[in-house]
Amino acid sequence: MKELQELAAKLLRDQNVQVVIGYEDGPAGVRPAFITDANDAARLIFDPRCVHNLATYLKPQRKHIAKLGKIAIVVKGCDARAVAGLIREQQITRENVIVIAVRCGGVLEKAPAKAAKKVELTEENVSVRCAGCEAREPKLYDYIVGELPTEPPVSSQRAGEIAQLEKMSTAERRKFWDEQFSRCIRCDACREVCPMCFCLQCVALRAQPQWIDSSPTPAANRAWQTMRMLHQAGRCVGCLECERACPKEIPLGLLTRYVAGVVDQRFGYKPCDDPSVPAPMGEIKTDDEEEFIR
Amino acid sequence: MNIYQPHLMRIAEITDETEDTRTLKLEFKDPAVAESFKFSAGQFGEYSVFGEGESTFCIASSPTRKGYIECSFKATGKVTQALRRLDTGDTIGFRGPYGNHFPIEKMKGNSVVFIAGGIGLAPVRCAIWNVLDMRDQFKDVTIVYGARSVGDLVYKRELEEWSKRTDLKICLTVDPGGETPEWKGEVARVPTAVEKTVAYAENTYAVICGPPIMIKFTLPVMDKLGFPAEHIYTTLENRMKCGLGKCGRCNIGATYVCKDGPVFTAAEMRAMPQEY
Amino acid sequence: MTNEFLSHASLSSLIAELVATGTRVIAPVQTEDSPDRLEYKPVCSLADAALAAGQPRLSLKELFLPSTEVLLSYRQTKEGVEIREVPTQARPQVILGALPCDAAALEIVDKVMSWDSKDELWLGRREATTIVSILCPVEDSNCFCTAVGVGPDSVRGSDVFLTPVEGGYLAEACTLKGQSLLEGRTADHADPEAIAEAEKAQSAARKKVQENAPAIPAGFSAWLTENFGHPVWNTMALRCHGCGACASVCPTCHCFDIVDEHENATEGVRRRNWDSCQTAKFTLHSSGHNPRPSQSERFRQRIEHKFSVYPRRFGEMLCTGCGRCSRICPGGMNLVEIVGGLISLSASNSGGAGQ
Repeated sequence: MKELQELAAKLLRDQNVQVVIGYEDGPAGVRPAFITDANDAARLIFDPRCVHNLATYLKPQRKHIAKLGKIAIVVKGCDARAVAGLIREQQITRENVIVIAVRCGGVLEKAPAKAAKKVELTEENVSVRCAGCEAREPKLYDYIVGELPTEPPVSSQRAGEIAQLEKMSTAERRKFWDEQFSRCIRCDACREVCPMCFCLQCVALRAQPQWIDSSPTPAANRAWQTMRMLHQAGRCVGCLECERACPKEIPLGLLTRYVAGVVDQRFGYKPCDDPSVPAPMGEIKTDDEEEFIR
Repeated sequence: MNIYQPHLMRIAEITDETEDTRTLKLEFKDPAVAESFKFSAGQFGEYSVFGEGESTFCIASSPTRKGYIECSFKATGKVTQALRRLDTGDTIGFRGPYGNHFPIEKMKGNSVVFIAGGIGLAPVRCAIWNVLDMRDQFKDVTIVYGARSVGDLVYKRELEEWSKRTDLKICLTVDPGGETPEWKGEVARVPTAVEKTVAYAENTYAVICGPPIMIKFTLPVMDKLGFPAEHIYTTLENRMKCGLGKCGRCNIGATYVCKDGPVFTAAEMRAMPQEY
Repeated sequence: MTNEFLSHASLSSLIAELVATGTRVIAPVQTEDSPDRLEYKPVCSLADAALAAGQPRLSLKELFLPSTEVLLSYRQTKEGVEIREVPTQARPQVILGALPCDAAALEIVDKVMSWDSKDELWLGRREATTIVSILCPVEDSNCFCTAVGVGPDSVRGSDVFLTPVEGGYLAEACTLKGQSLLEGRTADHADPEAIAEAEKAQSAARKKVQENAPAIPAGFSAWLTENFGHPVWNTMALRCHGCGACASVCPTCHCFDIVDEHENATEGVRRRNWDSCQTAKFTLHSSGHNPRPSQSERFRQRIEHKFSVYPRRFGEMLCTGCGRCSRICPGGMNLVEIVGGLISLSASNSGGAGQ
């Protein structure tokens, strides 16, 4: 991705940027890259293997990254929504980050473990979040690179999983999720990779009062998972990083997508990459009639 | 009985040392344990409120006094807040004694200096009483103790007791601005009071405990007075859980505070990675 | 301990008998929803087990140190508190088809669990378990067991070691427990062809892993101690999320938390749960002070603990080179790369910024 590499090198050389966060090939596949030297900019790549949401590295608690200086970050559409979310919720200021948007034709569901060079997206391997994406050409950027690829295929693997969930009765759904959550070991990987989970002290970690027990028991797991989803409703950008990070393979992406569907239905809101568009749970309108609770 | 199971203790007496520091006198509910329990000055334990959790404090009473132990704490977290809500007669748990201890045996026949700041007097007090209970086995005993203000001084009854004794030298001090009109002691920070009060004679030992900043400024004074780093003992605090070396939480480099400490010499502290 | 021949039929009937007499048998099995993913699970027969088919996603650690377990339960009464003990005697079990990296890990963690005080919960389960390991087919390039003194043919931590050969397995009894398990099941002497076949397979597996990483040099632990303050730590963990997924899949990570939980107004439990030095709150004092304030310090702790602290205290590295951490890391941290990089650094310049 020559355009991207040259841009990154230029930003680093001209000294207004100290680190470019992007993607590179690592020993176990594509991974986040932190380029601090213009000569290393040639490591930057962008292709359908770049599934990670790098916006999480902008969270205020990533002090060891903020210490490096001014950041330029490579984002695809879903990631741009996360950067917009961090700006919208005042975790970062627009001026303090340089956004390099990449035009995206979709990414894989699972990033391959090895560095496979050319990857074609098919309906078997594409991420379920890509079909119908409205942010393939992100609107939040300081620079935008790449050609607009063709639209991503619709995932056949996971097509209909939400419909399946909707068909279940409440009791069946409860049983399904309890089974899934029973595997949770409370490692909190889902929270740490999520760009929108930026609370310096997560509600689940508070001991006074102990809102949620920290042990991985069924009741505490249910409380943790559902509380996190409720806190994410209307804010989650659907990047599916939580699902990717979970060492116990709990289908968190199914839950986030389901909740996003409910938010869309009820509030007509889909997360977007324009920070000035308010999120449904994040804004108070003084002229809100609040008909729904009368 | 697994190693994580605590002894049951009855709260026998509650003393509020300051507004936020409380001392509990705890008696073993099991008479056999009360009889056989032994520990050494400087060791710590895990004290628990059932349902709230465990918290780590040193044993603040002297091992020369049998049948009970004491601890002093500030209510800063979930467990200490819960401890504060308890009354005499209530039951708590105690696991211990854990860790190493002050080298009381090695100190015999020599002079000892005790230096403490604020609640740091708690672990030192244990050693002070241990020494005073065997007074004739030691040469000179000096105590320098200070706090931010008169209100922050702990173990006030004992400070008075020690001040009346003729077999030790004691300097009580409060930070400038912390004195009251009735205050008869020094007005100076602990390091300054130490410089005025303490002298080094061959083989004198020092026991120091207090807030990190006090230790930071006191150690150079001790150096100036001629104390070798191997003769200065302090006790470290670190986040602990099991107290037994298994949970992996308290290590500083290759030093496990719960097993190799909490008592360390200044020389050992200097050799550790500064990650505490 | 000699090599003997164990036929498929013999192994199958051994398993059947164990199950029939109430001994739990655990083996790698293919999971329902994902046939290429394996997990250590109880089996009813040999046919359910997927032996030498790959590395289960999680290690054997869960069987000895569960992700959560009750240490005691209590009840408040008018007189005070009653403590109810938990049993420390465990149900007998046999692990069939354990990977050598997972078996060796148990032996390594035994050391801290028996350091002065004996952790009866861990040791009780270890006592009740017989481990039958199998020659590892080597998962992928993230494996580096040979670099840390283990190997796909390592018998460390195993009671019996199996190498697949024509018609069955070459079975090596490594301990008395292993000997008694194999009693009467094996043909007295394996024929020389089977032995040659086994040795060839073992050597090929070892060679395959050795390509991934060279052995960690003897001075590495000391170098890590001396270079605690080296600037490399500031940039090593930039991509690390501090999520602790590495610790949860790691067979040797054993750090835990102890918490109390109310079950109702008068009763409750004290539990121990998995915890990880990678989380921000691991060393957080109630005063707000944190000796490891950023991911740089926390990641340094991970490497130092595994390759310097544990070797200094217990004579072993706290790592068996299974590669799970590298595979699961959502941020792309790779232990072969990281340790390799530190080793190169230690070879090129032996001094750092001190402390």
